[in-house]
Amino acid sequence: MSLNCEILPEINKYYSKEKSLWKDIKRYKFIYFLVAPAVIITFVFAYIPMLGLIMAFEKFDIFKGFFGSPFVGFDNFKMLFDSPQLANAVFNTLLYGAVILFGCFPFPILLALLFNELKDNFLKRFTQTISYLPYFLSWISVVALLLNFFSLDGTFNDIRKLILGSEIEGFNPLMDADYFLPLLFISHLWKNIGWASVIFLAAISGIDSQLYEASTMDGCTRFQQIIYITLPGIMPTALIILILSSGMLVTSNFEQVFGLQNLYTLERTDIIGTIVYRKGILSGEYSMATAFGLAQGLCSFIIVLVSNKITSKFSGQSIL
Amino acid sequence: MKKSNGEKIFNFINIVFMFLLCLVMVYPYINSLAVSFNDSKDTMLGGITFYPRIFSADSYKVVLKDPIVIRAFLISISRSIAGTLIALIVTSGAAYAITKKRLPGRKMILMFLTIPMFISGGLIPMFILFRYIHFLNNFLVYIIPGAFSIYNMHVIRTYFNTIPSSLEESALIDGANETIIFFKVMLPLSKPVLATVTLWVIVGNWNDWLTTLYFIQNQNLYPLQYVLMKLIRESEMLQKMIAESVMKGLSISRTPSVTPQSIQAATLIVATLPVVISYPFLQKYFVKGVMIGSVKE
Repeated sequence: MSLNCEILPEINKYYSKEKSLWKDIKRYKFIYFLVAPAVIITFVFAYIPMLGLIMAFEKFDIFKGFFGSPFVGFDNFKMLFDSPQLANAVFNTLLYGAVILFGCFPFPILLALLFNELKDNFLKRFTQTISYLPYFLSWISVVALLLNFFSLDGTFNDIRKLILGSEIEGFNPLMDADYFLPLLFISHLWKNIGWASVIFLAAISGIDSQLYEASTMDGCTRFQQIIYITLPGIMPTALIILILSSGMLVTSNFEQVFGLQNLYTLERTDIIGTIVYRKGILSGEYSMATAFGLAQGLCSFIIVLVSNKITSKFSGQSIL
Repeated sequence: MKKSNGEKIFNFINIVFMFLLCLVMVYPYINSLAVSFNDSKDTMLGGITFYPRIFSADSYKVVLKDPIVIRAFLISISRSIAGTLIALIVTSGAAYAITKKRLPGRKMILMFLTIPMFISGGLIPMFILFRYIHFLNNFLVYIIPGAFSIYNMHVIRTYFNTIPSSLEESALIDGANETIIFFKVMLPLSKPVLATVTLWVIVGNWNDWLTTLYFIQNQNLYPLQYVLMKLIRESEMLQKMIAESVMKGLSISRTPSVTPQSIQAATLIVATLPVVISYPFLQKYFVKGVMIGSVKE
């Protein structure tokens, strides 16, 4: 009897907690209904392919499925390291990634600073609007624009003839693998510089205006204000952008590279992405292509983690 | 306050630089537009800059009569509309659920949706999955797999959070349930952010050609961007063949009325025109979302 009395409130508490959770779930049933499609889509198109990565360790057979195919351990990865073509692709991926990541990085910041110094608001809005435009074109359209610009009867060769004399022979840099990297760099910069500057402009406008007023009182010039107030003020944003895009080091932009490749440059400009595409989708060597993709994905994940660690150590900026 | 000479010079150089920047940004497009309207044979002489030298709409006559291009145009439009509608429903629904701080399991759901940002199965397992569920050569591959974007969800959620909760509470007191609050209160109040996300998703759909490259072989499902890609590849092949046959001493007798270059330029213009035309009117919405996204929490 006494035992019951002691337990009863506990039971009641337990019961009501259970009940209120159930009540909450019932109360929120429409909310669950709203989030369900996102969860289902993420499960099917993100998590199932993660399980499919098991293919990298199998001799995958499309009729036996992800879990029925014979297991071969790290054989697919061993094959990766034996092929010279793949070594070249890894080298290119890292080179292109590094050049674009670090080479293009300062320019949007510079552009944002220049935009910020424009005192005429109409001019500012107008030039900004124009500079964003290329961002909204597809990469293949950008490639078509480049083909037109650099073609033998295009503007590039017209300018060359103007400078070097009209008897000079036409030259198309798109057909020469030596010029592939500069073209990647220029086209990336052209397409993205305007849009990438938006975020830095937002960061600049977030800087406390009292700092500028105080510095003017103390006799700072505009240039000094940029160096001592604006740049430090946007540093956190710059670092976060750098961390977020550091994965680019090993992934490259497939659309851009694939688009710019042609019959003349294909052999020397392969990246991991183009090999995965050709081996996996065109020739059906699924396991090997998956192994390659997995190795790449792991590297990019590690690079993001490491760069996050480094920047959080030095400046306290972190995305996690 | 008087400006120093150095400042004046800097302002002048800055303005000159901005004009140059604008020129660099728009010239390639204007030049392609001029080439597309110029007589094909005349273009081969070079020297086309901002306007056509000998006006001709022949390349457009060829391009716009091509059944593949017409079909591709329809595919591009329908996938953009269908894809955007579904993406909006899925993404805003998820965003609303995540704003509910007391939703049982909210943290778990958020984690579940976030993990794929860092780990992904990659192209080939996706390809195999699509093969198993018959998404290869299927229109659905354009609209379903990309319907949820965690980035857009955060942008919408950030906006939802700025809507005062007193509005929601008063609707509750008036007897509204969650369904009514979502459709009649939250969505109408979030028009600015929904406009931004809509534009991003439409442009993303319109510009996408990788999905076709990876998963579609059926010519009836090609979007415009992919047709442009095919055209570029084919004209490269053609140029290489011509170059090789010239080297072998064979003469090219075929002198077509339109060259691959003009066709390419005309297709490029058709494929980009919707974005370029609507862009000046809508660009403020494009930018707004970046600002919202950048002040996340």
